[in-house]
Amino acid sequence: MNARMRRLEAMSRRDVLLGLAAAAGGSGLLRPDHAFAQAAGSWTAAPSSKVDKLNFVVWTYGDIYARIAKQFESDWGVKVEGTISSFNDHPTKLATMFAGGETIDVSQSSPFSFPSFIKQGMVEPLDGLAGAADYVKDFSGFTKEVAVVDGKLMALPYFAAIWVWNYNEEMLQKANIAAPFSTYDEFIEHCVKAKKEGHSRYPVLWVAGVGLEQLPGTWYALTWNRGGTFFDKQGNHQLGPGSVARETLKWWANTFEKGLDISDPESLKVQFTTSAKAFGAGKNLYRGPNHHYGLNVANDKSQSSIAGKVKVHGFPGDGRTIGVAHVYFLSSAHRNKEWAWKLLQYLGGKTKDGQYAQAINLAKDAMLGSGYSSVMQSDAIRNGWAPWGDVDAILKMWDKATYIGTVVPSLYEPWHFPWTDQLNIEVQKCLTGQITADQCCDNLIKGIADAKRKT
Amino acid sequence: MAGKHHARGARELSAPALGVVMNLPMISLLLLVLAYPVVYAGYLSLHQVGIAQLRRGVFPWNNWENYTRLFDDPLFALALKNTILFTVLVVVVEVILAIGIALLLNQASLWTSRLARLLILIPYGVPPITNGLIWSFLYSFQFGFLNRILFSLGLINDPVNWAGNPDTALYAVAVAYIWRTLPFAVLIIHAALQGIPRELLEAATVDGANAWQRFRAITLPLLTPVIVVILILRTSFAFAVFEEILAITQGGPGDASFVAAWYTYKLTFSPPNNIGMGAASAYVLALLVGLFAIAYVRLIYRRIA
Repeated sequence: MNARMRRLEAMSRRDVLLGLAAAAGGSGLLRPDHAFAQAAGSWTAAPSSKVDKLNFVVWTYGDIYARIAKQFESDWGVKVEGTISSFNDHPTKLATMFAGGETIDVSQSSPFSFPSFIKQGMVEPLDGLAGAADYVKDFSGFTKEVAVVDGKLMALPYFAAIWVWNYNEEMLQKANIAAPFSTYDEFIEHCVKAKKEGHSRYPVLWVAGVGLEQLPGTWYALTWNRGGTFFDKQGNHQLGPGSVARETLKWWANTFEKGLDISDPESLKVQFTTSAKAFGAGKNLYRGPNHHYGLNVANDKSQSSIAGKVKVHGFPGDGRTIGVAHVYFLSSAHRNKEWAWKLLQYLGGKTKDGQYAQAINLAKDAMLGSGYSSVMQSDAIRNGWAPWGDVDAILKMWDKATYIGTVVPSLYEPWHFPWTDQLNIEVQKCLTGQITADQCCDNLIKGIADAKRKT
Repeated sequence: MAGKHHARGARELSAPALGVVMNLPMISLLLLVLAYPVVYAGYLSLHQVGIAQLRRGVFPWNNWENYTRLFDDPLFALALKNTILFTVLVVVVEVILAIGIALLLNQASLWTSRLARLLILIPYGVPPITNGLIWSFLYSFQFGFLNRILFSLGLINDPVNWAGNPDTALYAVAVAYIWRTLPFAVLIIHAALQGIPRELLEAATVDGANAWQRFRAITLPLLTPVIVVILILRTSFAFAVFEEILAITQGGPGDASFVAAWYTYKLTFSPPNNIGMGAASAYVLALLVGLFAIAYVRLIYRRIA
């Protein structure tokens, strides 16, 4: 009997009934609230098959995985093992395990790696699984962009974030600057003033370390805010002479050593959390745009010497910014699909009690946004984020956020990943004065064809 | 009697046959742990291999395309150039420093040399990735000890971005690497110095040779075989430098410290996981190391002859 047959045989009568009920609800045979009630039952139902253990392969974030594994074990009596690596090492770890023939029930992905994972057959579609359709109804716009691929549900959300600026309120006051910048010219003015008057040697710390959305994300966000994109809907690059992306890069590079010298050289090394920690040392006036949840580090007394003085700030102009959603997915190398689906829901959906337990905990503990609209509109976000920053201000910025894939549609393509590798190299060379912004963009244009060939 | 001889001959192997039998377990082990992966990597380098193919175990043949694409990639050429520069720098500095330090350690009469012999071992005990992290802290632009010490000594007025400046990044990694691997060379040369007959040096002294002449005419020629071994080993290891790159620069800024092993790693383990091309890259690297080793042996032994 092959694996597919075994999986089909493992489908229980209860699953069939739930599926029929959901279908009936969807077709209007039952009242909507009844349909929801039927589907909601799927979270409390135990799969009919048996497994001795399950596992997930994820990147680290505090102790959230130890907690959710413990809860799963307590609710279902099934042990959950975790393989946890750093964010940047995760694709490598996952790929190596998959290639090595190991069993992986659930894993996670950034939107940048996800198309490549799908193309390599690592992701199991979720359509038809009990309760799956109800999750989709509650997906936020960002989540749909990542989790639904070619009309198929491929994942559940891990978290969502938007790009915001931070500023050091105390330093701003010392520099006699009435309010944070409202234009890019004003931003430069503030930084030059802070440097000239000795308040800060390097007034701005960018998040420009090598990564998928660290350095690239900063360029994407700045470009989008100035009205540009990187590719149009037809897939044509928007990096040519005079393009917004190119001009933005020129402006950005000018803030580094070879230009105004207002950018902290550490910018080229820092990642999400390390940039927030570095900003917490109190040596910079502004922290360049990055995920909003950096505030929970920069305003944490145990990690920051300026805790409580780091404020959130929106983008200039119309305030448009970018956002992103990361996802959990069911691996095609799972040991048991229905149990793996159960575990996946604990990470990216609802727990046995019907709560989005993980999403709520992430909002409270890590200031992460949720990929579910209902969670974003709930008090979980408002109360969870309140200790770290101005929740109303962030939520207003959230309303002005566009999914990163609109700005860089290449991320839906498997070649985006190798192209991003080149982007990191070329942009860092540009920011360190080894090449000009024009050369950088020309190289990136050439690199598109190379990246496509590599995939 | 003849029957006894026959029976005994059937039980006992000839010396060459016995030699083969005695070596078989080790040969089998080496074939298993060394030859098999090397041959398998060669096989992969000639096929289209991604994650999915590796899991299924089915690899479409793609001729020499992995190698063609490799040599078409300017980043690979740059990575090779950086690797060769790094290797030459590291090996030359290590050999010179190792000889100097070993000569100092060889002064048995000094109590400090006995202490130094112990201390010199410490860096060698540090795991490579830990070494990389230690040096990345040392090099930190605003908070690093190196800048703080130099500033305190009045040698710099502004902090230096050791690992973040494209002009210094590769050298910053080289210093961290030399610090960790130098003790190996020191120990080998120190051991070789112990084996040089004292009478030779004493005779040269009686003949009026000064310290430099004794070193040039006696010590250095006798150290040559050991230096060849160090050159081969250090070159092959320096060619494959990875951990310090990972921890300190990650190939950056830009591609300033992109070396061949880092290139291979990125190619193989980052999506889209081009394992076939990664294997081809590793093969080219291994071939270069082999060529270096042959060149060392020929060059140095020819000079001795």
